[in-house]
Formats: sequence, structure tokens, C-alpha cells
Amino acid sequence: MRKAWLKWTILGAPALIAAGCATYPDQPTTRQIAEKMVSEGFSAPMPALLKRLVQDKSQQICSRIGDAKLTQEEATEVVKLARESIKYPASGKLVGDWKRGDQLAHDGAGDRIQFGRLEKRKENGGLCQNCHALAPGEINVGNVGPSLTGYGLQRGNSEAIAKLTYERIYNAWAYSPCSNMPRLGATGHLTPEQVTHMVAYLIDPASPINQR
Amino acid sequence: MAEPMKIRATLQGDVADVRILMLHPMETGQRKDAKGEIVPLHFIQSVVVTHNGKTVLDAQWSQAVSRNPFLGLRVKGAKAGDKVSVTWVDNQGEKRTDEVTVAAAS
Amino acid sequence: MRRTREGIAAAAIACVAFCGTALAQSKADDGLAVGRQMLAEDNPGELWIDQGKKLFYEKRGPKNASLEQCDFGLGPGKLEGASAQLPRYFPDTDKVQDLESRLLTCMVQLQGFKREDIVKTAISPAGSRGSDVEALAIYITSRSNGMTMNVRLAHPKEREMYKAGEYLFHRRSGQTDFACVTCHGEPDKRIRLQDLVHMTDKKQIQEVVSTWPAYRGAHYVVRTMQWRLYDCFWQMRLPELEYASDVSIALTTYLHYQGNGAVIRVPGFKR
Repeated sequence: MRKAWLKWTILGAPALIAAGCATYPDQPTTRQIAEKMVSEGFSAPMPALLKRLVQDKSQQICSRIGDAKLTQEEATEVVKLARESIKYPASGKLVGDWKRGDQLAHDGAGDRIQFGRLEKRKENGGLCQNCHALAPGEINVGNVGPSLTGYGLQRGNSEAIAKLTYERIYNAWAYSPCSNMPRLGATGHLTPEQVTHMVAYLIDPASPINQR
Repeated sequence: MAEPMKIRATLQGDVADVRILMLHPMETGQRKDAKGEIVPLHFIQSVVVTHNGKTVLDAQWSQAVSRNPFLGLRVKGAKAGDKVSVTWVDNQGEKRTDEVTVAAAS
Repeated sequence: MRRTREGIAAAAIACVAFCGTALAQSKADDGLAVGRQMLAEDNPGELWIDQGKKLFYEKRGPKNASLEQCDFGLGPGKLEGASAQLPRYFPDTDKVQDLESRLLTCMVQLQGFKREDIVKTAISPAGSRGSDVEALAIYITSRSNGMTMNVRLAHPKEREMYKAGEYLFHRRSGQTDFACVTCHGEPDKRIRLQDLVHMTDKKQIQEVVSTWPAYRGAHYVVRTMQWRLYDCFWQMRLPELEYASDVSIALTTYLHYQGNGAVIRVPGFKR
């Protein structure tokens, strides 16, 4: 009896092990496989553009699946890196021209790669309207981000608010680590000068965003 | 060019519900191509629908009708097995005729 | 026998271009239900299905062969339900393949076409007659109409592909810091007036996977999932996604599995 039991265990063990092996790859393996796919799955007119696919440390931390939460250390690190990235305009003036900011806020073009060409214009659009409500009454606006209607009315236009607004646009992750908002200035999509125009658009009392 | 149409004709009582899908660029003559040149006017000018050989719709279209147009109409006094034929002619002289048989109500 | 002088007959509905009219409502599409219904009943994409059927059975290419011997996973030439179980592992190529990459394999092996030639023209220019691949893809998918999506992750490579797709869906990169989940991970979101599919919601992802390929109104051609993924990476300011790349197959595997149970109904209609 014992011999039969032993025989079946020996025969059955590989089957059990095989069944156990038909599980899903672990996280590090998946990461390796997927990153290899990324390195092979794209093309660009200039090789330098492929670097856009390379994640920086913050992006790696902020790529979370499902309900995975940031640890305190991770959040602190992302905020720290974001703070360090913030560059101010050479002039030191954080509030630019709201008319240019208005134009940029409604501009969703620039810097895209298609059919072997890079879309290079005079400047990149701010993409704001894609995700945020802007001036009151505008209909063609998204809601991925919170409404910015009345931004200046609610907060005023002090130096402190100008600085906060500048920093949030330049690198939102300095305040909200891993926010959905692109780190527009830090990633180079917008220049510091462009960010000052966005600030003016948001806080200048004359800006359409602050009209009733 | 002159791609085949897709025509459905289903009976609802004694009315044939006719649905026609057409493939046609319907160029307005105002669009510019990538080189900045005007794409020539090219649109369906006339559409004729017949029921058992008798004209039931005779339309003149303009370039205002959009690309890959859809035409729907209802023909009274139809029976299963009747022939519905559609012909379009465009401003460049191309034409296309397709025909279907009216299907019984399911 | 009266010649009507009006441009459009009274009963005719001639505008197929799906114009998203601006509505000051919380959801952008509430008032467009009637239009959607009309488009669902009479979709120009049907013409691509007819074209695809013709191409499938026609002897083509240097080998002068049809695609009837192509195995999409249920045996050579078996099309009923084939696209509903894709992507899947194929022993002959030792790869997990989606519909379009499998189509590529067959067009090369059975018909003798050159892979580069097909890939170059697989995604047609907007406003064109459309590509052979687009027509074939929608025809083959239409042979699964009415059936449910049932991607099985049985083979280890299928599981790898699924996990890689899940990872890629959540991978943030580029100057926008976007991952797919950034825009597609929450309910009731929209970019300008375009509603965003909440892809981590079962019902919405089912709606997505069951309606591709689709007639893209603004392009006047049928578009496929390969095109849709390519276009997303374009908007995210990332490099160009290679046609039938493993990245595209991984994402498709992930999305299709999430959408299991969806009832396939093509042609879809997108704005």
C-alpha cells in the first residue's frame, strides 16, 4: 500500500509543480518583458526622440496598477525631485501676458510625432482646455482636471499665489505627487516664459477666466 | 472608382424601407491637399431609384452632401421579390448601378 | 416623373459625418442618441466588410492564393468566432498574436506578400479608399458578430502578454507623464467634448472591445485597434508605435481579456 502511495506521489508531483508553474509571471519578470517590448516597439524620425519612452525615477514610482498606493517614502521622494526641478524665468517675473496665456490654454498642438515627422511649431500648446474648464461659458472643455473657472477670483493675485500657481504648472508633482497633470515645465513641454503667461491667464483680474 | 453600393430593402406592410450606403469622395472643390493645391470637385450629381423599372426618386445632389453618403427612402406599393435599382452619376461622368430584391418582412 | 430641383429628396438623410455638437450638459452625448441609433443601423463600415470578404476569398499575391487556409486559432479557414478568441498563442509562430498580426502572417506565408509592403499601407490615409488590411480585419471580425469575447489565458506566453499589457497600460512616460490609465482610469471623464472610456470598468471596456474595427467618421475610413493604439501614443507625444508590435499585442491582450463577455458587433462607429 505504502509503495503505491509513494509511486503516485512521485508521479503526481511533477504534474502539481507544472500546474503551479502555469501561473502568471511575477512583477520583476513582467517589467523586464514589457520594457524589452518598449525598447523594440517604437520608431522615431530622430533616435533622440526615442528617449521620450524612457521613464525617469518619478514616472517609475508613479506607474501604479489598480489600488496600489504610494508609500510615504515614495511620495516624499517624488515631491523632492519635483521641487528640485523647478526653474524660474531669467527675468524673475512670474506673471506674464494673460492674452498669450489664453491662446496657449486653448492650444492642444505641438511636438507630436507622426508619419516620420516631428510636429515642430513656434511653441508647444499648453493643452489646458483638453482637461480643464476655463473661461465661464466655454463649452468645448474637458473635465479630467478640476475646473479653473474663476481661479483668480477665488485666490487673488498676490505674489504668493503667483509663485504657487507658477510652481504647480511647472511641476504639479511638487504639490500632488503622481497627479494626473503633466509636469509641463519640468518635462520641457512648456518654457518658463510660457508658464508665466499661463499664470497671468489664471490670476489676472482682466483675464476671461476671472470674468463673471 | 465607382465602388459598389450596399442596398437593403425590407418590406413593412406594403412599404419597402430602402437603405443605401454609397462610397464616394464627394469633394467640395474647396479642400486643399497636403501640397496646398485644390482637390478637384468630384461629387454625385444625380441619383435615380427605380421600383420594378419605374422611377420613384430622381434627385440632384450638390457638393454639400458629405463623403460616403447614405440615402434612405420608403417606397409605397411594394411586394416581396420586387426589384429596386439605384443609379448614381457624378460630375466626372462616373456612374454606378446596383440592384436588390425587396425582402419579405421578417 | 418630376425632376426634383431640391438638392436632397425629402426622405433622404445624406449627412454621415458625425458632428459632435456642443451641448451644455454634464455628459456630452445625451442629445446624440438618435444620431447614434441611425448610424448604428446604416454604417458605411458595412461596405468595408463586403470589400474584405471579396479580398479574403480572392487569389492574390505572388503565390496566387486566397486566405482560406489561414488559421486564426480555430483551424485553417474557420472564421466563426475566430476574432473573439484573439489575441492568442500560435504554435507555428511560437508567438501570441492579435488579429492583424495573424493576418500579416497569413498574407506573407500563404500569399507571398512582403511584410514591409503590407505594414507600410496597413493604415490607410484618411479620406482614402481604405487599405486591404482594414477591409480584411473588419470582415474577419464580422464573422464573430453576435458571439462573445473570450480570450483565454491558458498558455504561459498568453499570461506573459496579459501581464505585460497591464503593466504597459499603467506605464507613465514622455513629457505628458501620461499612461493609458491617466485618461481611461476614471468614470465620467472627457477630453474637451470627447467622452473617455473608463477602461477599468467592466461594462465600458466591453463596449470598446466589441466595436472595433470601426468606421471613423472624421476619417471616412474603417480604423482598427492597431490604428487606435498608434493614435493614442501620437497624442501622448510619444514615438510611433510599430504596427503589430508586441507592445500593441500586449495592450490588446489586456484590453480584450478585461472585455471578456462582450458581444461583438462590428462595424462600430466612432466620431
